[in-house]
Amino acid sequence: MEAIDVIKSSYIRELLAKGVREGSRGMMDFRNIEVKAGVIPHAEGSAQVDLGATKVLAGVKAVLGEPMADTPDQGTLSMSAELLPLASAEYEMGPPSPEAIELARVVDRGIRAGECVDLQSLLLEEGKAWSIFTDIYVLNYDGNLFDASELAAMTALASARLPKYEDGKVVPEEHVQDLKMNNIVTSSTFVKIGSHVLLDMNGHEEMAADARLTVATDGKLVRAMQKGLRGSLKIDEVDSMVETALGKHEGLKGLIERASGRSF
Amino acid sequence: MRELVTPGELLFERPVRMEYTFIDNNRTYAKVVGLFEKERATLIPLEGIWTPRIDDTVVGTVVKGRNSVYEIDLSYFKRSILIGGMHETELTPGQVIQAQIKDIEDYRTLILFRHRVLSGGVLIEIKPAKVPRLIGRNNTMVNQISELTGTTMVVGMNGVVWLRGGDVGLATEAVLKVETEAHMQGLTERVREMLQQETKR
Amino acid sequence: MASKANKPALLIDGKRRDGRGFGDLRPLNIEAGILKNADGSAYVEWGNNKVLAAVYGPREVQPRHTADPLRAVIKCRYAMAPFSSIGEHGRTGPNRRAIEISKVTREVFENVVMLSEFPNSQINIFIEILQSDGGTRAAGITAASVALADSGLYIRDMVYSVSVGKIDGKLALDLDMIEDNYSEADMPVAIAPRNNEILLLQMDGNYSREEIDRAIDMVLEAGKTISAKQREALRSSYSGASR
Repeated sequence: MEAIDVIKSSYIRELLAKGVREGSRGMMDFRNIEVKAGVIPHAEGSAQVDLGATKVLAGVKAVLGEPMADTPDQGTLSMSAELLPLASAEYEMGPPSPEAIELARVVDRGIRAGECVDLQSLLLEEGKAWSIFTDIYVLNYDGNLFDASELAAMTALASARLPKYEDGKVVPEEHVQDLKMNNIVTSSTFVKIGSHVLLDMNGHEEMAADARLTVATDGKLVRAMQKGLRGSLKIDEVDSMVETALGKHEGLKGLIERASGRSF
Repeated sequence: MRELVTPGELLFERPVRMEYTFIDNNRTYAKVVGLFEKERATLIPLEGIWTPRIDDTVVGTVVKGRNSVYEIDLSYFKRSILIGGMHETELTPGQVIQAQIKDIEDYRTLILFRHRVLSGGVLIEIKPAKVPRLIGRNNTMVNQISELTGTTMVVGMNGVVWLRGGDVGLATEAVLKVETEAHMQGLTERVREMLQQETKR
Repeated sequence: MASKANKPALLIDGKRRDGRGFGDLRPLNIEAGILKNADGSAYVEWGNNKVLAAVYGPREVQPRHTADPLRAVIKCRYAMAPFSSIGEHGRTGPNRRAIEISKVTREVFENVVMLSEFPNSQINIFIEILQSDGGTRAAGITAASVALADSGLYIRDMVYSVSVGKIDGKLALDLDMIEDNYSEADMPVAIAPRNNEILLLQMDGNYSREEIDRAIDMVLEAGKTISAKQREALRSSYSGASR
């Protein structure tokens, strides 16, 4: 972190010492969230999520592929994330950074472990299955890419429609059926700044953060977790973050249902 | 009684200012692997890096330079610059010198002064963590090696040791013995025995 | 997680495939200071995992513009050898999984190394998985922690790491590869034992809140054994006169 960033983020600590956050947000409140599905009609599924000033777009493409050798009865899922150079002065061109790789893998882990997409339904015939690619595009960075991306990817998948498959060929113009979903996972990301724990950090709060924990859940069970940054967490802090994340799920799931027009 | 301790181990239930330790929550912990003596409240590291301090004596070789400003190789990753006196003889690359650290500029460059040319002799490098053991309490170890071998020695805190005269081979052997056995009890006695045995032959 | 179709029996008469109980570690052996060139090193055999860790530094920062005038920067590489797994031939160097593990491992050590003692310098931590059988990131962190202590760099604590998984609905410590492939959940954790602070926490699968609490308890219990072995490795590297 640059010296200037330390100075810029120091007022966050001053505010927290008084028990307040920027915009007088509660410690366990999300910023305003907007979810729009179907923003890229060329894609099989898509969604844009605005989480405060953080802006993330996710697109889903279905490509005719082959099942993996050890799972011949299933299609495949893969996830990537790009921190676009236009999203922040800090982001650089070139191969994916460790941060981008971590982001994609954490989002993927939640959706995969939550068994959200019905992989068996992707099998078309023996040796042929849909490969589902979800690409996360970060358009503007203002903290907490994890929850914005999880929400965008989940909504894009939940609103995706698969193309027609006929006589061994794909008809890409004709979308004929919904991608079958079995579960919906959302995530809540917390940061610890000094001894304060807060949900959904904005860019300045993320800059000031000592430790971070993402908890992905379907409301009943925790499906994935990822700690980041050099600070440490106490055992009871993890427990209370898990409790909060379980409680936030219904609200986030409602946003996905409303945007996709489907209920799960 | 010396005890081998590892990083994070509790040394005192109260805050005690000691080198190679840190205080957390009013307790004192080790931050290196080392030999801990509770009675004396000392911790001698067994491994480690040299953290240069002002006034440290170092031994190195001249890399380049002129007009009383020289770059010195101390076998250390930071740059070292020696500022000589105005009317002294110019140094030439390859010359061995001892000097003291005058200043550490922006954590990047060591500024050396009070140099002395060490002509002839040999250099050996040991792990900087073993230097305090080689010097010994009140210079006992280095004086003992020097006396029993007749070798003149300059020990740099950077781990570079210069030796000349007397039985240099035997003195070198003694220095290396100190390096490998730094963690063992009664080392001063054992080095003396070794040197006395060898010089008798 | 692999397909459930070919799932082997993970529990036989209430015991795990290798006869272990649910809270048992695999055999763990640690050696400190085995690479002469490195400033610190360690070799860990943990079940069938074979892991080498080395530390170099402090040294000059490369590239120079990444230097921090207030503290040392840590660079970390976790990589699996192409011949490390049964069956497949992996690729040389770090893949996406390895890049993520390298990142979270770096963050673990940024916590315990006293970075401000070594401003404007770089510390390299290398973790090479020579043979893998599940739980390699935990083995790598456990090994690197010993290598760091062996290097003489100033550190606040010796971190250990182990994971807790769920097989056939039961929490089980330290999964091997087969158990991991067919597990319902896995959660690697790294702990700084002085104050039981959590430095790494990852999880996937399904756990209830209560299972997470119990899993962390299992980590702390096993941690006593792992910590003792780490410290013993350092002690025994000084036991002989000629090292």
